[in-house]
Amino acid sequence: MQSAEEKFAQWTGFYRRAQAILRAGRRGLKKLNGAEITRLIDDYQALTADLARARSLGAARETVDQLNRIAVTGHNLLYGQIRLRESTAAARGFASFASAVRRHAWAVTLSALMFFGSAVVSFVAVQLHPSLAYDLLADEFLDFDPASPDNLHSIPSLARPVVSSLIISNNIQVTLLAFGFGLTAGIGTTVLLIFNGIHLGSVAGWMSLHGKDRALWGWIMPHGATELLAICLAGAAGYMLASAIIVPGRLRRATALKRVGAQALTIELGCMVMLVIAGVIEGFVSPSAIDYPTRIGVLLASIALWALYFLGAGRNRGARPAEPPGDSLVS
Amino acid sequence: MVMQESIYIATPDHVTLEFELAGPGSRFSAYVLDFIFNVLLIVIIGLVLYASGAVVSVRSLLGAAKGGSWGASWILALLVLIVFLINWGYYVLFEGLNKGSTPGKKRVGIRVIRQDGLPIGLREAALRNLVRAADMLPPPSYILGGLVMHFDPQGRRLGDMVAGTCVIVENFDLAAQGASGAAWASRVEQGRSREAVTLPRGAISPQQIGLIERYLARRHQLSEERRAQLAWQIAEPLLPLLGQDHDSAARRADRGAYCESLLLQVIELTQSKTPNITMAEKAPPAASLF
Repeated sequence: MQSAEEKFAQWTGFYRRAQAILRAGRRGLKKLNGAEITRLIDDYQALTADLARARSLGAARETVDQLNRIAVTGHNLLYGQIRLRESTAAARGFASFASAVRRHAWAVTLSALMFFGSAVVSFVAVQLHPSLAYDLLADEFLDFDPASPDNLHSIPSLARPVVSSLIISNNIQVTLLAFGFGLTAGIGTTVLLIFNGIHLGSVAGWMSLHGKDRALWGWIMPHGATELLAICLAGAAGYMLASAIIVPGRLRRATALKRVGAQALTIELGCMVMLVIAGVIEGFVSPSAIDYPTRIGVLLASIALWALYFLGAGRNRGARPAEPPGDSLVS
Repeated sequence: MVMQESIYIATPDHVTLEFELAGPGSRFSAYVLDFIFNVLLIVIIGLVLYASGAVVSVRSLLGAAKGGSWGASWILALLVLIVFLINWGYYVLFEGLNKGSTPGKKRVGIRVIRQDGLPIGLREAALRNLVRAADMLPPPSYILGGLVMHFDPQGRRLGDMVAGTCVIVENFDLAAQGASGAAWASRVEQGRSREAVTLPRGAISPQQIGLIERYLARRHQLSEERRAQLAWQIAEPLLPLLGQDHDSAARRADRGAYCESLLLQVIELTQSKTPNITMAEKAPPAASLF
């Protein structure tokens, strides 16, 4: 039986060592030798046993608090090294994005309806009532001529890297908002999707009224499929979060959110990769001098590739894809 | 609903640890600090890259008459991406790689943990921070996140719920406790606290004992002034029971420390099986204990 002083010296000694190792950062524990680690663990176990005994004997709150705080520090040190497999499983593998999308096809459908639905409605509305465009569109789009050499359609090659990175960061920001706003029970996501859909539809409607549609589609086609699909999928990730709030089922809302969160994150991260691809195409390919049939070819190729990926990847479990996962899918 | 003070987490080695939850105040100060660090980081990287970009463009202008400063163009593109990455990735990277701690949180002494007590990884950090836009609604007020925090017993914002995390307090300085430090250590084997104590002049209720215990547990984190003031406020109604003269105690220069020692004695009384009667010696023969 140790005296109180010995106990106290043991606890504070453990606390000071734990603090020093924690302060040394991630490599702190790795520098210790076997005996030191054994001693650390022994001291931690003695400490937690003392804590449990103090609690069950009903010791003074101050005593329990002090022991508890030292134990929390020790816990942070010793368990801080644990990497649970669970925390990386969701983001593992090339196919996880595709299978998450397939599993939540309802959310993708809803998101696509909101986005393309409002685009089609506003396209038709502008065809029927061209004056609407003056309300829906900013001035620069009313005067916008996709075929003129002064605008985006022909970005000077020197500016292309900058334009490309601006497009990528802007689009990723939009998808992050569509994802996060799912937590407003989907209201924010819906507003964002409809707002962007109306913008797309009314620009297209206005251009086709003025006979510029061929130039516009030529501009959009190379990157369009990838970019618009990514925005739809980000909306779907937002609706997944919304579903946990609106229909949590038998779970508490916080629990339901936690369950769906990992899958929604996988989709959102996948969208970011898609938007980087789309942004590079939009910055370098779309403004280049390639002819119209090639543009259609790029569009068809990208549709085919995404269809192949989303419908096929990870279908047959067990068979691992040869392609390693993309960087931003790694969590 | 009132926020709990702490959460209890059972660890795999069958010990329950108590984690003190961080309140909105300390979380907000950490947020302000991180915001400042974030802006500073962007400004510094921006200046460095701008400087280097300017150098490249000047050189290329000197070299080629056609003004092909591809270097400047690419550096500007890189700058755009880096600013974006810092903007959205500051919290994700710091929390994910640094066990739930950011520079601001470290200063304030708080940390993000998973709800099973383990430190968070990149996935949790990404989830709780990439949905931050919703907590900020209407931007940048944090009204929605603040409301959710207010009504959640664990004080979680929306991002915490999605990621399954909570924010805890982690500032504890053994050194600040000085010589009195060992006193608490001697009381592990003694139980029976929180029971009423009956003294010749009357009883101290379990509620009062609980209050004294909470004061003693927290006293090292209080300012000197506040500590003395609270000790006096808690001890004052007990003075007659302890056989102390109210006026002479009130006039003492070391009133706070004196009251604290009285409170410590009360706790020791609760833990000794036979009530120590030295404090009651001056009491006149009591007619009745009740």
